[in-house]
Amino acid sequence: MKTRIKELRARYDLTQEDLARKIGVRRETIVFLEKGKYNPSLKLAYDVAKALNTSIEEIFIFDD
Amino acid sequence: MKEKLTIILGFGIALLVVFTLFIYLIAKDTFEIFDIASPIIVIILVATSTYIIWDRLKNIKAGLPAQDERLKNAGYKAGYYGFIAAIWSAVGSNMGSMILFDQELRGGLVTAAVVLISGIVFMISYLFLAGKGN
Repeated sequence: MKTRIKELRARYDLTQEDLARKIGVRRETIVFLEKGKYNPSLKLAYDVAKALNTSIEEIFIFDD
Repeated sequence: MKEKLTIILGFGIALLVVFTLFIYLIAKDTFEIFDIASPIIVIILVATSTYIIWDRLKNIKAGLPAQDERLKNAGYKAGYYGFIAAIWSAVGSNMGSMILFDQELRGGLVTAAVVLISGIVFMISYLFLAGKGN
């Protein structure tokens, strides 16, 4: 799974810690999400999308 | 508030465990292999749990949650591995003692082995899973 979190975070000038605080997760979770090493729950994916003012499918790109 | 209370309680329990271990070692006259191995495992357990508590405290101070869904899942998985280790150590500790020392373990020692082995498997699994994504 690829994500566009890093790109969108940069657009809003947010650090990993800022985004983590906004969503209510630990900073390491954002690191793993950005690297595509963690598959979030639907709730977390929704929270990330909401924090970055976009939709889930814009952020998380699934490879077949 | 609940998280802070849990952390304070965790530190308190860790101190009590170390204190109890200290009293136990002072009161002992002779030392067998298990008497040496068990304090080492207990110290490892206390050290890792203290590290986890310190890590949570660090996050709370930074305004971040002590635990999130990733760590909760890691905790559930580690709990499962700890449970499996408890079952197998109940059988394996006695069998290992029969093979290595040609004698059965006393009931209390089997219980201690189950608690210590499952505890250490839980801690190692938790730290490993917390340090990786899925």
